Amino acid sequence: MYYAKRIGQSILVFLIAVTVTFALYRMLPFGPVEMLKIQLMQQFIEQGSSPTPEQMAKINGMVQTYTGIDPSQPWYISYYEYIRDIVLYQDFGRSIFKQEPVFTILFKAMPWSIFISIYGLALGTTVSLLLGAGMAYTEGSRFDTGLTIFSIINTTVPYYVVAILTLIIFSFNLGWFPSGGRMDPATTPGINLPFIIGVVKHAALPVFSSFIAGFGGALAFRGNCIREMGEGYIRVAQLRGISKGRIAIRYVGRNALLPVYTSIMMGLAGLFGSSIILETIFNYPAMGYVTFNALLNRDYPLIMGAFIFFTAITLLGILVADLTYGIIDPRVKGGSNREAY
Amino acid sequence: MAAETHSTNPATMDTRQNDVIIEVRDANVSFSMDRGESRVLRDANLTVQRGEVLGVVGESGSGKSMLASAMLNAVVHPGQVDGEVIYHPQNGDPVDILSLSDKELAKLRWNEISFVIQAAQSAFNPTMTVGAHFEETLRAHGEDRDAGMAHARELLSDLYLEPDRVLGSHPHELSGGMKQRALIALSLVLKPEVLVMDEPTAALDLLMQRSIIGMLEDLQEKYDLTMVFVTHDMPLVTDLADRIGVMYAFEMIEIGSTDNVLDNPSHPYTRALLNAVPNISDRDMEIRGIEGRSPDPVNIPKGCTFNPRCPLATKECEVNDPDFRDIENDHEVACFHWERAREDIPLVARGDDSHSEPSTDGNGSFGGL
Repeated sequence: MYYAKRIGQSILVFLIAVTVTFALYRMLPFGPVEMLKIQLMQQFIEQGSSPTPEQMAKINGMVQTYTGIDPSQPWYISYYEYIRDIVLYQDFGRSIFKQEPVFTILFKAMPWSIFISIYGLALGTTVSLLLGAGMAYTEGSRFDTGLTIFSIINTTVPYYVVAILTLIIFSFNLGWFPSGGRMDPATTPGINLPFIIGVVKHAALPVFSSFIAGFGGALAFRGNCIREMGEGYIRVAQLRGISKGRIAIRYVGRNALLPVYTSIMMGLAGLFGSSIILETIFNYPAMGYVTFNALLNRDYPLIMGAFIFFTAITLLGILVADLTYGIIDPRVKGGSNREAY
Repeated sequence: MAAETHSTNPATMDTRQNDVIIEVRDANVSFSMDRGESRVLRDANLTVQRGEVLGVVGESGSGKSMLASAMLNAVVHPGQVDGEVIYHPQNGDPVDILSLSDKELAKLRWNEISFVIQAAQSAFNPTMTVGAHFEETLRAHGEDRDAGMAHARELLSDLYLEPDRVLGSHPHELSGGMKQRALIALSLVLKPEVLVMDEPTAALDLLMQRSIIGMLEDLQEKYDLTMVFVTHDMPLVTDLADRIGVMYAFEMIEIGSTDNVLDNPSHPYTRALLNAVPNISDRDMEIRGIEGRSPDPVNIPKGCTFNPRCPLATKECEVNDPDFRDIENDHEVACFHWERAREDIPLVARGDDSHSEPSTDGNGSFGGL
């Protein structure tokens, strides 16, 4: 029941987001659809004639291929068609600039974004959890204070500053890593070592930067661990003779993870958002980069498509966090099948 | 006054008299703090006989929890324990618990001497089922899982719990009383000789407290346990305990058989404490507190620690710390003026013998709660 309700809510939010895109698209005075129509009409006017009704129909047809919205239709019909195209045919319209379906462009760019985001997040989360736990276990030591100071500085300095600094140091000054692109142009794509090395080298700096962006969790996890270590059940477990390793993982770690779990999953959504800036800095042609260039080129169909993509990913991250939380914390499981006392 | 209400008859007491199971000798617990050393247990000396129930009473911050922790060498970091706690196993040589290695301690605790902590409500890991706690404990001590779990089920039934339901539940699905009883069962799963309980009924309502006392009585008989029951609630422990020790300001000040301590209290503090217990049949319901407050562990009064609050204090009390003296069979007190105390601090008539008043005959009647 809870799952059905939660999934239903996500679908509802997604539809609302699509509706907002549609409204921005279609209803806004001088919005994208109208602008496109005017642009096309101007081409005829420049040729010295005002468009004939047939040409007008042709213009409307072109607008529809690009945006998925036919300006001559009443809004509710085009709204229905817009939603239908997206949900049933994954038709987000056609990029004006690239002359390709929006879905194809985004779908091709997405794996690269996921590649660097997931690695950045996984690395950032693992390392920050380990360091947080290490800091908690050595509370008050030099290691703890040093890392606390570092973490505070790190959270104060935005990740894009870190990105630019790493670019300057490791790419321009030291020349260890390339400053842009996502693969070595001299290699042939496929499962071969030079290609893979090229991909890893190109991804290294963006991954490092998103790792830094996801590092702030260490302090929160440290605090949670310290709080857990004072709990009664830790003392009882020690008295019961439970091994230190099991206490650290099953008792301290597991319980300290609960409050940060949701923020880790939300971080997944956040990372995709930050990818717009990160990928632009590193010239890394993936989702964020494509979106940013679409913005520069006023490629409205592509921008709107990316908007819907990002919404979907964010919703998915939160949904997965919500649905899996019951597994890691038995207390939030739907209580209907349990007696309460 | 109420001798006949105690379960243990004097004959069995005598045979046990010299079968010591735990001996605490000059145990001290201290914490170093910025403003000085905080001594929260001072020169504790006592013996626990095999098979008896020793009640340790005292107000909050009198060091009774520290005494309980010290018995298992489980004083929380960064507390320092010194002295000796000698455990005499049924067969085998006595061991000093305070000088055991971590490994030896891990073997001894729960196996020989078990502990029920004060914070029973948070004694279970919220992300594990109660049953997993039992299994994990058996595994950590290399016990047979099936036999151990069968024993766990029996213990839970003894405590009027449904084994299947409790073992399969997460802690948040149990009530406070159920959690408390599950913890007692968990502490007995390895069949220990001694069970030390630190305020095991704190945070429970009066009915549940009473029914747990009744269940403990039955468990003690069934499994031949030695129990140390630490509480601030004097009337609660009187029905269960064979002997009572009274603590004040981190020291034991009076210890003896329950009858002796209750009927013939000889330390001015014990007498004042008993007078302070409100009595429901007292018409005017006057609360008789003890003037002053208990001392700061960093700055304990010289001489007898109770002297600033004691109506009988003399010069001697301000200079010398009184040693324990035997005043009758199975009754020791640390006071210079114990004879005067009996005359000068009359016990307020406590209706019809208050210490056995709330009877626990119905130990099963609340069991299903």
